[in-house]
Amino acid sequence: MRLGIMSFAHVHADGFLQILRKLQDVEFVGFSDTDKEQGKFFAELYGVPWFSSHEELLDQKLEGVVICSENANHLADVKLAAAAGVHILCEKPIATTLEDGLAIKEEIDKAGIKFMTAFPMRFDPSIVALKEMIERGDLGKIYAINGINHSEIPRRHRSWFADKKLAGGGAVMDHTVHLLDLYRWLLDSEASDLYAEVANPFTPDAEIDTAGLVTLSFANGVFASIDCSWSRPEAVYPRWGHLKMEVIGEQGAIAVDAFNQYLNYYSKQNSRQANWLGWGSDSSTAMVQEFINSIKEDRDPSIGWKDGFEALKVALACYDAAKAKQVVKL
Amino acid sequence: MKVGIIGAGTMGNAHAKGWQKSGAEFVGVSAKNKESAKQLAETYGIKAYDNHQDLLEAVDIIDLCVPSDLHKDMVLEAARAKKHIICEKPIALTLEDAEAMIAACNKAGVRLFIAMVVRFFPQYRAAKAAIDAGQLGELGVIRLKRIGYQPLGDEAWFTDDKRSGGMIVDLMLHDLDYARSIAGEVKRVYAKSIRSTVNDAPGDYALITLGFESGAMALIEGGWAYPPGFFRTGIDIAGSEGLIEWQSDDSQTIKPFLKPQERTKVARVGIPSSSIAEDPYVTEIKHAYEAIRDNKPFLVSPEDGLEALRLALAAKESLKTGQVVFLGGN
Ligand SMILES: NC(=O)c1ccc[n+]([C@@H]2O[C@H](COP(=O)([O-])OP(=O)(O)OC[C@H]3O[C@@H](n4cnc5c(N)ncnc54)[C@H](O)[C@@H]3O)[C@@H](O)[C@H]2O)c1
Repeated sequence: MRLGIMSFAHVHADGFLQILRKLQDVEFVGFSDTDKEQGKFFAELYGVPWFSSHEELLDQKLEGVVICSENANHLADVKLAAAAGVHILCEKPIATTLEDGLAIKEEIDKAGIKFMTAFPMRFDPSIVALKEMIERGDLGKIYAINGINHSEIPRRHRSWFADKKLAGGGAVMDHTVHLLDLYRWLLDSEASDLYAEVANPFTPDAEIDTAGLVTLSFANGVFASIDCSWSRPEAVYPRWGHLKMEVIGEQGAIAVDAFNQYLNYYSKQNSRQANWLGWGSDSSTAMVQEFINSIKEDRDPSIGWKDGFEALKVALACYDAAKAKQVVKL
Repeated sequence: MKVGIIGAGTMGNAHAKGWQKSGAEFVGVSAKNKESAKQLAETYGIKAYDNHQDLLEAVDIIDLCVPSDLHKDMVLEAARAKKHIICEKPIALTLEDAEAMIAACNKAGVRLFIAMVVRFFPQYRAAKAAIDAGQLGELGVIRLKRIGYQPLGDEAWFTDDKRSGGMIVDLMLHDLDYARSIAGEVKRVYAKSIRSTVNDAPGDYALITLGFESGAMALIEGGWAYPPGFFRTGIDIAGSEGLIEWQSDDSQTIKPFLKPQERTKVARVGIPSSSIAEDPYVTEIKHAYEAIRDNKPFLVSPEDGLEALRLALAAKESLKTGQVVFLGGN
């Protein structure tokens, strides 16, 4: 299957490239990037074809693309891919506004292409195990979930993450969506209202939110919180961050620390004093495989447009609640 | 100085250990539950008093370790008798009561120490010392966790909200106080909670979001939500200049792997323990005694106890209204 990557703007592009090169049934055609410097740099770094326009890449008889552009550019790229009839795996958040999110839906429906939102954590083995435990009834009735998706500010890797116009927001935009998607999936229920505190205490020189505490209620009565803060000290923390959650229920609690499988690595050569070298499972590969399978089997991918859209809706509502200092209904 | 304890349950026993090591003259104990008073008296070679009025007469300092709904009347009684007072937390169950108690002690010229023991746990002290020294810069996001199991007291008073104030007032008060001690005054409080209606199931759990005047935010997590025997606490404090992480899971220097115990053999009240040379309850009692003896300030004032109660009650108010509660007139 011929696949490519549209834009190398997102930090995950590197990872997608590695996965696409390694998967047996994939022919990795290359990536497009309109930023010449960025394009040349990564083409040389990885020794892969680079196309200086998205149209050129889409001309290569592709079956699917991974959209890794800046959040605000997703819609434009979706339009191009849809016009070429190419299936899409799109980075999260799927857009920066509800209008763009809805416009994406129109494009993919019109073109009749598949659209998958990139939520890799649904494929994480500990999350999958948690889902099974919940479905088996180990916890009894679920009461609440307390989730954390901390990281350092990602701007060292790609500066646009701290650019409100391109990213649509900071920590809240970047990190609320992952846990929110997992909550929807685990609970099989939609968020009904939320309150959020949002601020920028960590990186005053970036004009963007770096901290957020969100409390959500779900239609089925469960409440949950999300700490989406970029609160790990930049360039000092032993790793980018982590994703943790604790689910409280009738029979007790289950705690998940999805990235807890690592080696403590201390090096005299590294800029960081201590490093956590992960050796756990790679959920992104499983996610890409699901995208490929959905194309092969001509069915909907397990995570669709609606999942991406609901997550975006919640992320945007966090900003509303924080501004109004009030609970916002969804 | 002569000291006596009223109440010979979990806390009466914890405090007795402290008094034995304090250098004060530990003379007696009195409790409604005569058997518990007798046992404590035997352990420490002190006198068990049949009624607490006689004990009160015999001492200079009275230590109140009785259920929380009795704090007010006993403090007022001790103040009238012109005795210095140690009183377990919460200071009282209403702000009016707490104010009356503080006023009565001031008027009588006696000292009042509210036993907010978390302030005396070494990891919490170390974190506060780092923060006070400016090592974390401006505080951004504070996360405090405290989840144990349903406590047992005489007459099942813990689970009677009218007597204990409920889980938020009884347990989460500790972390509300600690958060305030490191980040200052609170402007906004939002809370969600669940209380199991299933017999014998754990499940009293709450998440409280605080917005501080300084711009910092906090998520306080608390519960009597684990099966008997489990107790977990944690600190995650992120500032503009640094980060402090601690979880009780990590710092156990001794870990028993023994057969699971029956409820009757598990401590009546879950108390976070760590292998540390001096029990924090002993540290606390020694501090209170020395401050009274030498007429020095307490590390935690009765007003702190009152403000912690204000936060806990604001959280309960938020639960009732489903809205954000504003303190100090917006
Ligand atoms: N800081 C902590 O870690 C912590 C932990 C547990 C309890 N506490 C606090 O300590 C206090 C006592 O809790 P506990 O767990 O020891 O309760 P408990 O039920 O184990 O003991 C209460 C004692 O008070 C006595 N008592 C009850 N009514 C009395 C009365 N009218 N006159 C005289 N004595 C009376 C009982 O006989 C018993 O000896 C409460 O305010 C509680 O909130 C604090």
